[in-house]
Amino acid sequence: MWWTNLFKDMSSTSFFNFSFLPAYAGYFLQGMAYTLLLAVVSVALAVIPALLLALMRLSKRKAIQCVSGAYIAVFRSTPLLVQLSIIYFGLFNAISIPRITILGFVDLSRFIPGVVALALNSSAYVAEIFRAGILAVDKGQTEAARSLGLSSWQSMKLVVLPQAIKNVLPALANEIVTMVKESSICSMLGMAELMFVSKTVATGTYITLAPYTIAALIYFCINYPASKAIEAIERRMRRGDKQ
Amino acid sequence: MATSNKLISVQHLVKEYNNGTVKALNDCSLNIAQGEVVAIIGPSGSGKSTLLRSLNLLEVPTSGQIIFDGVNLADKSVDINLHRQKMGMVFQHFNLFPHKTVLQNITMAPLALKKKTPEEAQKQAMGLLERIGLADKANEYPNMLSGGQKQRIAIVRALAMDPEVMLFDEPTSALDPEMVGEVLDLMRSLAKDGMTMAVVTHEMGFAREVADRVVFMAEGKILEEGSPSDLFDYPKDPRLQDFLSKVL
Repeated sequence: MWWTNLFKDMSSTSFFNFSFLPAYAGYFLQGMAYTLLLAVVSVALAVIPALLLALMRLSKRKAIQCVSGAYIAVFRSTPLLVQLSIIYFGLFNAISIPRITILGFVDLSRFIPGVVALALNSSAYVAEIFRAGILAVDKGQTEAARSLGLSSWQSMKLVVLPQAIKNVLPALANEIVTMVKESSICSMLGMAELMFVSKTVATGTYITLAPYTIAALIYFCINYPASKAIEAIERRMRRGDKQ
Repeated sequence: MATSNKLISVQHLVKEYNNGTVKALNDCSLNIAQGEVVAIIGPSGSGKSTLLRSLNLLEVPTSGQIIFDGVNLADKSVDINLHRQKMGMVFQHFNLFPHKTVLQNITMAPLALKKKTPEEAQKQAMGLLERIGLADKANEYPNMLSGGQKQRIAIVRALAMDPEVMLFDEPTSALDPEMVGEVLDLMRSLAKDGMTMAVVTHEMGFAREVADRVVFMAEGKILEEGSPSDLFDYPKDPRLQDFLSKVL
């Protein structure tokens, strides 16, 4: 291609030596898809456990509160890379997953442990999001539901949760944005997401910097518009509430 | 002491906060008869709302008894949800469910508690909405309504459970003045229909006109009770005299 000549005289450590792109662009797109898949699937998987953790945290029983509190404390106070390593080498040493490849580039034997680790980590954070969302629903709502004779679970299910979930949707979307970035750590375990792709290209082509420039650009182009969109939705929701 | 028409009997009710340092209710006893309208008045912080909210155990009393339908609700073994179905409550801030339409607000509890079939619940809700002239709002969401409309819908939401008694916790205090009338009119018509009502209120005119009995509270105690004319025209307790001199 004509523009590859532009890079002919650039050094291998230049920020903008993109001469590898014609050969590797498709590979980067795969990496991007892998990253998005990791982020979306792990947050989606985290929702139900997180809801459970949040409800346990708000339970009247101390013992149940403690279990959930301990889980959240452990996952929020240790690095994701450590959690990932323990789950990958520990848990999935015992459970073996067949090497099946889906979509042509996602090796399940690596993807599933990665997604499980991210989901377990994410559920601790999402639990706190849910807890805040539930506490933000006016106490009068619960009182009104209970005064009609509904049990505490019925009040939660029919009155509080529907309102809480609407409130936390922006925060949940933000968690996906965070996960898009955090999932880069999965490259350490050989998952072929965007960061891993960049590293592979850098090693294979001896162009040591520019592949990471591309990675940064792609991450930015996903996350910046996404977080701007979330902000806009949040603003609109706030306006809706005031009426 | 067994009288057949006594619907609620509160005996020696005490509610303490902060390990007994604050006494919101200090040995309150009160009877409410079938079909009676009782207005509870008093300065703010006197425990009126706490007393009312104790009746359906939204506030759990520290000690004392609340006998309703022959059962002591303060007893921990009682299934309070069952008894709450028979006690409608109306709140100062309406507490309509904002994610549900007006119709769904009214039918939710009867349906969730399987008291009615969907057809029955819908028919009853539409009947209630017609009674208050808001049938055309059935499919609107609460945020489209005025305060007075919201409170009237909150009242019929409670009525949809066919309660034996209605508890009103300052139902007009959060309303713009021009909307107080429509809510009081609805309450007046409920009273005329023979509904048993306990009303915490600052509307002295309403208390005098509609209540069968007025209860005056201050500092967690019931200081005086009697017919509206006795209480308003010949107050005995100096604190009631002082209170009335400020509000009337």
